[in-house]
Amino acid sequence: MAQQQNQNATLNVVGTRGPNIDAIARVTGTAKYTGDIELPGMLHARVLRSPHPHARIVGIDTSKAEALPGVKAVITYKDAPKLPIWGSRQFVMNDRVRFVGEGFAAVAATDLETADRALRLIQVQFEQLPFVMDPEEALKPGAPQLFPDGNLEGQARAVTRGSVEQGFKESDRVIERVYRCPTMWSGSMEPHAAIALWEGAKLTMWCSAQSPNRVHMNMTQQFDLSDANCRIISSYVGGGFGTKSAPHVDETIAALLAKKAGRPVKLQYTREEEILDSNTRFEVKMYMRVGVMKDMSIRALDVRAYINQGAYHSRLGGLGNHATHLYNITHLRTQQFRVHTNIANTGPTRGVGDPQECFGLDSVLDEIANEMGWDPMAFRLKNIKRNGDPVPRGQTGVEDGVLINQGAELCINQGAARLGWNRRNPTPGAGQSGPKARGIGMAVTERGGGAGLAGAEVKINLDGSVVMSFASTDIGTGSRTTLSMIASEVLGVPLSKFLTVAGDTEAAPYDGGSQGNRTLQSTGRAVEQAARDCLQQVFAAAAPLLKAMPAELEMRDSVVRVRGDAQRMMALSEVMSRRGRSIVGDGNVAGAQTGMNVERTPGAHFVEVEVDRETGKVRILKYVSAHDVGQPINLTIVENQLEGGTIQGLALTQAEEMRFDPRDGKCLNANFLDLKPPTMMDFDPRVIDIIAVDNKSAFGPFGAKGLGENPNHPGMAAVANAIYNATGVRLREVPFTRADVLQGLGQQRPAAQTARG
Amino acid sequence: MADDDREQSEGAVSRRAFLKGGAAATGALSATLMPGVAEAQLPLAKDADPRLTTVDLRVNGVAYRKEVPNSRTLVEFIREDLKLTGTKVGCDRAMCGACTVILNGRNVYACSMLAVEVSGGDVTTIEGLGTTDALHPIQQAFIEKSGFQCGFCTSGQIMSTKALLDKMPRPTEDDARLLMSGNLCRCSAYKRILESVMTASRLLQA
Repeated sequence: MAQQQNQNATLNVVGTRGPNIDAIARVTGTAKYTGDIELPGMLHARVLRSPHPHARIVGIDTSKAEALPGVKAVITYKDAPKLPIWGSRQFVMNDRVRFVGEGFAAVAATDLETADRALRLIQVQFEQLPFVMDPEEALKPGAPQLFPDGNLEGQARAVTRGSVEQGFKESDRVIERVYRCPTMWSGSMEPHAAIALWEGAKLTMWCSAQSPNRVHMNMTQQFDLSDANCRIISSYVGGGFGTKSAPHVDETIAALLAKKAGRPVKLQYTREEEILDSNTRFEVKMYMRVGVMKDMSIRALDVRAYINQGAYHSRLGGLGNHATHLYNITHLRTQQFRVHTNIANTGPTRGVGDPQECFGLDSVLDEIANEMGWDPMAFRLKNIKRNGDPVPRGQTGVEDGVLINQGAELCINQGAARLGWNRRNPTPGAGQSGPKARGIGMAVTERGGGAGLAGAEVKINLDGSVVMSFASTDIGTGSRTTLSMIASEVLGVPLSKFLTVAGDTEAAPYDGGSQGNRTLQSTGRAVEQAARDCLQQVFAAAAPLLKAMPAELEMRDSVVRVRGDAQRMMALSEVMSRRGRSIVGDGNVAGAQTGMNVERTPGAHFVEVEVDRETGKVRILKYVSAHDVGQPINLTIVENQLEGGTIQGLALTQAEEMRFDPRDGKCLNANFLDLKPPTMMDFDPRVIDIIAVDNKSAFGPFGAKGLGENPNHPGMAAVANAIYNATGVRLREVPFTRADVLQGLGQQRPAAQTARG
Repeated sequence: MADDDREQSEGAVSRRAFLKGGAAATGALSATLMPGVAEAQLPLAKDADPRLTTVDLRVNGVAYRKEVPNSRTLVEFIREDLKLTGTKVGCDRAMCGACTVILNGRNVYACSMLAVEVSGGDVTTIEGLGTTDALHPIQQAFIEKSGFQCGFCTSGQIMSTKALLDKMPRPTEDDARLLMSGNLCRCSAYKRILESVMTASRLLQA
């Protein structure tokens, strides 16, 4: 291992800039996404969805739909396996619907219009049931019950360290505040899509998934298939952000229809379906109580969080690990109630509750710092965890590990310098005349990376070209490119010789998928291993040809050389053709090897806003996004991820709340016009300034860290803190509308103790 | 309680349903209003099936004549009849721009026009811009500046850039922001898309 490290002291590929290796396919329209694939005889599917937030289906008649010419298969909840979708408690279809938009029947026909017509011919009788949409209401006695075991999902997740009550007694100042992040749309440009093809007992499925192997696990369970009889392919995926990180009902519906029809079936969600039924970002309401000492230390923190999972969860929600891994807090208690209600499915989105927790925690810390007259940045620098500080390795909060390679202080100091934190006026709203008020705010985040199992395979062909296969996906994160760069660096074969097979469960070893900052860190290490395995085989084959020992060899630019001897060398293609057999190397990594609970990846955001006191409009003048990125593999991709993730996080301050009608549970804004994701006019991208802090990982390949989620976290807190600094108005609920700002300016009195709604 | 769904879906007339229902009439009306379309090219209903109409479209320089359902949208014509899948459907409601193509020199949302409505027109899709072997300067610019992440909106972004630069070869950054604001990028690679547009402008001037 030491020798390998020495070999890589000089990096040739890693750390450079450059376009994605699949850039040409993406800019010429030749990249095939699931919806672009057409199979001979393929049928098109539509799903019949509930108009009610909570109902029992007491009668269903599909005979007229079945009789419609062109209809090849109709399925209902009666045809669905009585087995929950992997990781969820949702059955693919059920005789009980729990949110507006839940599917309970589906049709496959020769064309979409026929399928649509057939849906309207299905006659359904509902028995409507009382419904509940608020997580706290759902826990009250007498609330409508979604499941036989109640609305609370499992036990409340709790972390306890010390005694918060004692901590608050000891504190010099205690404040209590409530923050809320609503259910927010988190889908991608490409809606869910799935194509199912049965060939005998074998199912092949193309789908828009972040984790093909999770879909694979679900399919083998739903249809009782052997692993070999199921192949999932997600080659090009048009974004995911977490909504495609777990199996979803669409895949199983397509497979059920294809099985019944005996023909391949494509199910392509519409935009409305995608918004209503795509595991969106969950609502979190946070009751936060914090106590500090006069020496600026945090004595106690008590968090009670209600997580609105909606009807079902793709993966369980919660808060991030900021309270346990980012700040030193003597007495800590967090209780997280994960509650089912009759609104849309939810799941993790660019962090499992990290953006929400960051909003609550970094807001309340800003509030108490302001009350104490402290500089919020100095307060954070006083309390952030540094390398060597204790952190918990498990879920209980017991600090049994030691933090390493975490560059929070670097991010804070560099970000502050870039924005000019010292320009900040310590008195909120002070000294400003005229309608426009300026203010500065900040927030800090952190996350780990690299959970779960990862695998990759690297094959060197007889002509020296390389095929790299992995079953995680490139959802826009550039992993095809960065993973190839890792293999290219190890092998000494230029990127131009690489072809990648991404997201194919049959072509590649098991891999957990692309979510949770894990692909680069975990799959990347598997790729590194696989490439080293190949390299040793190349050296073994070349050694006799070059009359040298394998240990004397190295490879650069696809030429095997004897180190220190300029005369003895041989092209890789010649080594391979003389060998006459291709070389295959594989790599497999377990989550424990990535050190994710002790090695963390922080970031700090700094923002200057201008608030128009007459209109309530908040304009971002400058935004600095400073992130610990480990060893950057490709700086262009790192910056693109940080810029995009930051803007996407800032969008939450402006819009993207999913609103539900309290009278009938329907989503009021299931379209782009009303959800208002930002365009280039809504948000001026030029204000974003990125700082990539190089802080190498001990676990990731060449010291790389996963970072895709982190830039999405701090925007809400940073902007809220800046608005406060500009105006003295404290906003505790996102998004921050002009009305909220104006209302706050109208009141201009000490903050109310509860959030709106 | 029976037929709840039928009432739901038929009661609320979506823009889409309106489009589909009014297809023939809309097509005829628009064709007469469309300048430069000869009378002989007007889509006329066939004797056999009034729901079908022959559409003449020039796409990427190739003339196509196809009999299609009156309800066929332009993007369906492009993707399904011509199998040109580079143009994407992100919303099918004229709200995202993933389906942007150039029709008679203008960037349009192909999801919200009927094929019969634009019969006689000249369409350019991403496939008509450059090829993998001979990239268009705009495509080169998007690669050089990495003006994309997942790529799903990219065809539309590039076609809007083309229409923009055809009309305004040297836009300011604010011009570009305004004229590119019909194209959503959920990955929010906006900073690089803007840089790509400005770089493309320079490459085309060179």
